[in-house]
Amino acid sequence: MKKNLRFIIALIFGKLAMWLQKLLGMNASYFPGKLAIKLCPDFLGRIDKPKTIITVTGTNGKTTCCNMILDVLSDAGFKVLNNRAGSNTDAGIATSLISGSTLGGKAKFEYAVFEVDERSSLRIYKYVHPDYAVCTNLFRDSIQRNAHPEFIFSFIDSALPDDTHMILNADDPISSRLKKDNKRSYFSLSRLPTDRDECVNIINDMRACPYCGGKLQYEYVRYHHIGKMKCPGCGFASPKADYLASPDYEKRCFTVRSDKGEEEYPLINDSVFNTYNQVTVVTLLRELGLSAENIAKSFSHMSIVKSRYTNVEKNGVEVVTNMTKGQNPVACSIVFDYIRSEPGVKEVIVMLDDLTYKKTTEIVTWVYDADFEFLNDESIKRIVVGGVRMHDYHLRLLLAGVPEEKIRCVEHETDAPAELELDGTDKVFILHDLTTPQLTKQVRDGILARLEEKEAQA
Amino acid sequence: MKIEVLFPEFANLFGDCWNWKYLSRCMPEAELIETGYNDEPRFASEKVDMIIMGAMTEHGQELAIKKLMPHRDRLRELIDGGVVFLMTANAGEVFCEYIENEDGSRIAGLGLVPLHAKRDMMHRLNSTQLCAFEDMELVGFKAEFSQLYGDNSDFYFAEAKYGIGINKKSKLEGVRIKNYFATSMVGPFLMMNPPFVKYLMALLGVKEPKLEFEETNMAAYERRRADIIRMMGDKK
Repeated sequence: MKKNLRFIIALIFGKLAMWLQKLLGMNASYFPGKLAIKLCPDFLGRIDKPKTIITVTGTNGKTTCCNMILDVLSDAGFKVLNNRAGSNTDAGIATSLISGSTLGGKAKFEYAVFEVDERSSLRIYKYVHPDYAVCTNLFRDSIQRNAHPEFIFSFIDSALPDDTHMILNADDPISSRLKKDNKRSYFSLSRLPTDRDECVNIINDMRACPYCGGKLQYEYVRYHHIGKMKCPGCGFASPKADYLASPDYEKRCFTVRSDKGEEEYPLINDSVFNTYNQVTVVTLLRELGLSAENIAKSFSHMSIVKSRYTNVEKNGVEVVTNMTKGQNPVACSIVFDYIRSEPGVKEVIVMLDDLTYKKTTEIVTWVYDADFEFLNDESIKRIVVGGVRMHDYHLRLLLAGVPEEKIRCVEHETDAPAELELDGTDKVFILHDLTTPQLTKQVRDGILARLEEKEAQA
Repeated sequence: MKIEVLFPEFANLFGDCWNWKYLSRCMPEAELIETGYNDEPRFASEKVDMIIMGAMTEHGQELAIKKLMPHRDRLRELIDGGVVFLMTANAGEVFCEYIENEDGSRIAGLGLVPLHAKRDMMHRLNSTQLCAFEDMELVGFKAEFSQLYGDNSDFYFAEAKYGIGINKKSKLEGVRIKNYFATSMVGPFLMMNPPFVKYLMALLGVKEPKLEFEETNMAAYERRRADIIRMMGDKK
């Protein structure tokens, strides 16, 4: 699309808005792009773009994957345009493109990595054609926005161009079917000791074959619908992986077998979910032509971003904050499963209210889709639920079989530390929502203060 | 007592599996029959006391219609005979005359409820609900791509005091024909509404209905009800 006067005006106003917001110390990650699109609705189509565009979408893991891709590319010396600082909608991407362009609208970057919100696919892919599109997975998410995975699948599938190289999860029978005629590279994790013969999660959105309706047979299930399956009726089956990873959690590394040979990479984190994120990144970057050495070197000094996971030790107790997206039942279930599998005696604070709804009522459907049953474990001796929805969490824990005497309810999350036992406890997990960083810090500080007091008394 | 759940492998979105899990946990003497898509529905050949179907995808609705169409007359007979039905979210649309897509094409429904549904897949309608039903108030949520149209003034389920009825212009929510109850509310609907669970149990012949974790469930219900009443006040 050619640049016209309307576009030039929108670009100038976008740049001005960005400059003003920065001057005022504001995060210029959304508004400049929003303004530009308002002034020129096809702004995204008219602005010059970097030569190579990578997009990352999916229900879970897209931010982590994007951050890792950016870090590896930056370490390798590439200058990469991205929307890390802000929104993953069309306005966020327009803002990035404004910041990455000259006053004449020419692109200043060779590469771009954009995180794309699934629901924004139509508005983004209409104008931004990725060379590579990564989809981490598709699960149930917020029912208000995303309805169900089949809807999101069709949304992304109809929006992405036919010539985009897809990077897909072979273990996900939903997202692996995206853009079936496009060039594609599949990644997978080989069978793990923790895999099961049957799904133990409440949610499995791929029990029936999407083509013939027959019951799918799983060779193994990792979690939810992730695993290796086939349909005895029509032959539909998990695709063969181009990049097959085998993690070794004791040695904290994983090997990847592909047509490029066998390569070893360090693990950043010991959760299966984060291993998937790393394998996703390896697959994309190896397809892009980066060397295994470069990728491994970057992985060796990476960590999960502090807003999502922190841990601090005090008086022999490890206090962990773990961002656990409320409204996203699969993300919650994965964290619950991780907590029960961690060694030692644990206590858990569940404060997952979305503070956008603080004084009202929010949809709690996800509470019934999430596997609170995983928190019914002998190694977890106390669960404190807090916030407006404490009765809902209390009820859900009881339904999950957690004994009443293990549960404490607090109206205000800041009262949660006082309800912990802390004697003989190895770890305290604070599970919090994306919207509550300050509150989480207050709760964590409350626990640390109690531990300090105990240390002083001893 | 037999409670038949239709197509739980896909008609289970939005936590709806807890509708039948909770009901059966409150009535351990009841037999819970989970009829998969490839199974023959039990109601076709024997007496069941209750039939439940939950939220599903749009494709799932079409599969459900296809599977149930041969049993249409039997379903009519069961509704007329007072068997208890609970259809939540978009499951009730399966029983309507047709479902209309955005392009005007129609999918014929079972035609047992004189209403029709219209889909609008680009606009999701979300709302919080407080509805009057007999001597109780029902709470819940709507999150839907489709709404129902037609006149349900003679057979509505509940009246919306807060939120909407079968569509944005209506205050009359859902369908009640004898003991056939359909609501587009999610929640899961029964988990959100312990008084209605007791009501259903009484309909099913339980003399003194008692709920599992009744005290905690009632606390959650009352808290939500109070929140919505406060929201109603704020709106005024």
